[in-house]
Amino acid sequence: MTALTRMRLAGFLRSGRALAPLITALVVLSVLYGGGSSPAASAYGYSAVMLFPVLAWLTKLVLDTEPDVQRHLARLTVGPVRESTAGLLAALALGAVVCVLAMLAPVPFGGIRGPLPGSGETALGTGILLGVLAHMLALLGAVSLGALAGRAVTRRVLPGVAVLVTGSVLAIVLGLRGSFAPWLVPPVMATARELSARTPPTAGTLLLLGGWTVLWCGAALGVYAGFRRRRS
Amino acid sequence: MRFDAIWFRYARRAGWTLRAVTAAVEPGQTVVVLGPNGAGKSTLLQVAAGVLRPTRGAVRDRPPVVGWVPERFPAAQPFTTLGYLRAMSALRRLPETAADHWIDRLGLTGHLHTPLGDLSKGTAQKVGLAQALLTPPGLLVLDEPWEGLDAASRVLVPQIVAEVTEAGGAVLVSDHRGEIAGLPGAVHWTVRTGEVHPEQQDGPVAADDVIVEVAVRRHEAAEAVVRLRASGHRVLGVRENAAPEEAR
Repeated sequence: MTALTRMRLAGFLRSGRALAPLITALVVLSVLYGGGSSPAASAYGYSAVMLFPVLAWLTKLVLDTEPDVQRHLARLTVGPVRESTAGLLAALALGAVVCVLAMLAPVPFGGIRGPLPGSGETALGTGILLGVLAHMLALLGAVSLGALAGRAVTRRVLPGVAVLVTGSVLAIVLGLRGSFAPWLVPPVMATARELSARTPPTAGTLLLLGGWTVLWCGAALGVYAGFRRRRS
Repeated sequence: MRFDAIWFRYARRAGWTLRAVTAAVEPGQTVVVLGPNGAGKSTLLQVAAGVLRPTRGAVRDRPPVVGWVPERFPAAQPFTTLGYLRAMSALRRLPETAADHWIDRLGLTGHLHTPLGDLSKGTAQKVGLAQALLTPPGLLVLDEPWEGLDAASRVLVPQIVAEVTEAGGAVLVSDHRGEIAGLPGAVHWTVRTGEVHPEQQDGPVAADDVIVEVAVRRHEAAEAVVRLRASGHRVLGVRENAAPEEAR
């Protein structure tokens, strides 16, 4: 499986398709951090929201780079479960790199700051840890969404783009405060709101957000596995 | 390996590409799949290899190691020949040198550092053959393996088929170019509008039978066999012209 993950990563990086999402991520991050500084937790929470569609797009690109016939060859060689998992792992690995870049991005801009004296804001260290968590949750949701938008599931270009765009828009719209069905999407917006609240999120809230993400990704990847099995 | 009442269609609303296919392939057997374009040959081979899942029915007792040579090698990948074969060896948990034997034998040595996309069709086809043979396959599925190969390389295919069957592997091969002459011991299946007709073993020659020798153009051989059988004749064998042109 690691061999296939490596092969997919090599294929993707050499194809040059990483360039467009990477530039988009940089643009998004410079817009986010270009206009002054804010508390770390809040800034990272919104950086995770803005990266969500980029990470989902990156996942679709990673999974779609390989020609269909090569995917079939890999499937025959390592088995269906490992083949599917290797693709997701490759996407997770690249997404994690983008997340690390996003965590470092505010440094040159001076985009994050510690608590103002007497404001009761979260300490810088805690804010950074919460930021790591927010990016991890966004990455898991984005990889699941990107997988569902992949060609192995949607077969043609248009449905793939439709899944990607609809999923990304819904993640934000249904994540707004007062949404009628927030559980239909991964909690990227809910996480960002919790991280920018005046009081830091409690352990219970974080567990809830984590559990929500895991359940949502479990359901999405279950659907993905079902499609992959039928459309092998 | 058995095809157990297999039905296959590409989409829910599409017509059936394969209908009620029931057939068996024994270890050590070579099956040549014949039939016109669009009859379902390639689909049948992909179902056999496990690339496509039957809509109904099942393939039973498929050997664990399957080598599949697709009709068109997926050359649109940013690897060199050597890099690709090494990566495919790693997928099979083989050492880096696993492909060396096939690189040598298929004459790929001069193309090791050529990007896959720059290879000629025939050379790419050889890379496809090499990756399928890295581990000795229990089932080798060759979809038009002669496509694009030059005369010198064409003879390699029957040799490789013979080696696989001698080791107890089964081979399924499709062909519309009449190369079947090179596979003398093969069983022929005919695919016609999605139905597979495993030819009954063309039984012993009866006392009042006569044998007619027929010469056909190479590219029409497969079609001729199908036509003769369809008209109720028994085809006893297909062979290369014993006296090559230069000798006459």
